[in-house]
Amino acid sequence: MNNLRIDGSKQTPEIDFNGQTGILKISGRSIPENTFEFFNPILLWLDTYSAEKPAKVVAKVKLEYFNTSSSKYILEVLKRLKSFLNDGCDVNVEWYYEEDDEEMMETGEDYQDVSGLPFEIKPIED
Amino acid sequence: MSNQSIYHRELENLEQSKQFLKRNEYSKMELQLEFKKLVEHYEELIDQVKIITKISDRLQGKLNKTNEALELSNVQLAELNNQLNQTIDELTEARIGRRAATLVMIMAIGLFIISEVAIEPMIDDYFGDNYFVGLSLKLIVAILIKPGEEFTNKYMLRKARKKQLAQAKLRMGS
Repeated sequence: MNNLRIDGSKQTPEIDFNGQTGILKISGRSIPENTFEFFNPILLWLDTYSAEKPAKVVAKVKLEYFNTSSSKYILEVLKRLKSFLNDGCDVNVEWYYEEDDEEMMETGEDYQDVSGLPFEIKPIED
Repeated sequence: MSNQSIYHRELENLEQSKQFLKRNEYSKMELQLEFKKLVEHYEELIDQVKIITKISDRLQGKLNKTNEALELSNVQLAELNNQLNQTIDELTEARIGRRAATLVMIMAIGLFIISEVAIEPMIDDYFGDNYFVGLSLKLIVAILIKPGEEFTNKYMLRKARKKQLAQAKLRMGS
């Protein structure tokens, strides 16, 4: 399984999905001009990865800001992870936020509620 | 994902339901199943809209807070910039004031020497031993020192400001 790596920019988050370790990292800011173009390869990668039946997946999300369409795609990513969980995979989502970023912490809580995935919401320690 | 849309799955579901409606006949069971599916999709869609709207509003609030903080920083920066400009102006004025005073003093000394060396003998030749003519001339020179200093000061300040403005324009241009 190939890894998926996309460098971050001012408008797009850094993506580092490792098929061998099962660690999927998303970090930065997500306000792409074309959200579909950015997120579609990520969803396709997850679809392919799901066929590999991984035993353990840890998603590490460190986002500082994202736009509305990105929030829909994040939900889609979490749905994919939920299907991993339903297939017997050990899935855990680590949602990181800056200590003074109350909004991002609450957003993590909302995603936790709606996805039904095991979440750990943690402040970023300097 | 051939349909390049953020809502491609939802649109697919809708299309399936539309296709079902186009059929001429369907059994009660089929109708029930299709309706159940539609309700499930609708429920899922409402859940999505609710969560996305909530998150979007919250992040909009975060953005507004950041903008407000940025605006405040800009105001503070402008105030600091004003203070800095004021201090620079005051320093320039003080520096030029000192230069103008020195220049006028040199000119006064020069005039005094000229009057002693060149003009006094001429006055003596024309007016003889008239002490008041020479004294009046020196008095006029002494009275002109202060306005002369102010004029020189103003002239040099104007010149310095023009230079500063030209430098600022050059910096903005580059």
